Amino acid sequence: METNGHAFRPTPQQARAALADTEQVRASAAALSATPWPRWFAITLALFIAAIPPVYGGLLADPQWLLPGPVWGVIMLVMTAGYLALYGVAAANWRKKTGVALRLDVLPKRAVVPLAIGLPALLLGGPHAFRATGEPLWLFAASAAGAAVSIGFHLTFVRLHRKAS
Amino acid sequence: MTSAATDPMDGFDTTIHAPNRLRICALLDTAGEAEFSVVQRQLDVSASVLSKHVTVLMEAGYVEQRKAVRDTRQRVWLRLTRQGREAYQAHLTALRTIVGS
Repeated sequence: METNGHAFRPTPQQARAALADTEQVRASAAALSATPWPRWFAITLALFIAAIPPVYGGLLADPQWLLPGPVWGVIMLVMTAGYLALYGVAAANWRKKTGVALRLDVLPKRAVVPLAIGLPALLLGGPHAFRATGEPLWLFAASAAGAAVSIGFHLTFVRLHRKAS
Repeated sequence: MTSAATDPMDGFDTTIHAPNRLRICALLDTAGEAEFSVVQRQLDVSASVLSKHVTVLMEAGYVEQRKAVRDTRQRVWLRLTRQGREAYQAHLTALRTIVGS
């Protein structure tokens, strides 16, 4: 390891140029990492998110709502397994297409942290409100809001990628 | 570079400072892991030039490679080691110190 900062020291101009060069490479790599999901998976994700509140609501419902509770449980398991399988396919294709690692920390924290807290609260809160009130509108409102958030984030990625490219 | 009393210039690393190697480190630090051909395209260098610099970085323990088969062809994926990431960050700190001095 050639670590010897005192034997060779670039001038401030050279150091500034080197930092600018790394920033350029960083921006270019960040654009690759921000490559959005293919449209088919963005739709799959939105549908999966939209399905969670009514299915979870059905699972929680007491007395039962539309279907017996265990049937809702099976539906939840099947759709989650299907989603995870499609996620695996989409992630593998994404890596092949971009040639970089799939990272989940591309978006700024100010956008990701509210999403990480807000979306689960929305998806779980709707069914609990439904259970408490018996009003299915809570489920459909949570479903629509979840799908809108998912599509909004996809479009943010599309814009981020275009801007950085 | 864990102690405030440490001279930031201690992090200056001539192995990393060579322009193409600095760019390789910048790319891998941002992307996490990247395929050899992607690094080559991003840096606009020939495969032999990239291979030479990657070898230097691997010998220093800064970069590691992983081989994976895609479309029946073997692809090489590159990533910074933990030591490489720390050395790269320390080097950036040294450069910023020089700019600020």
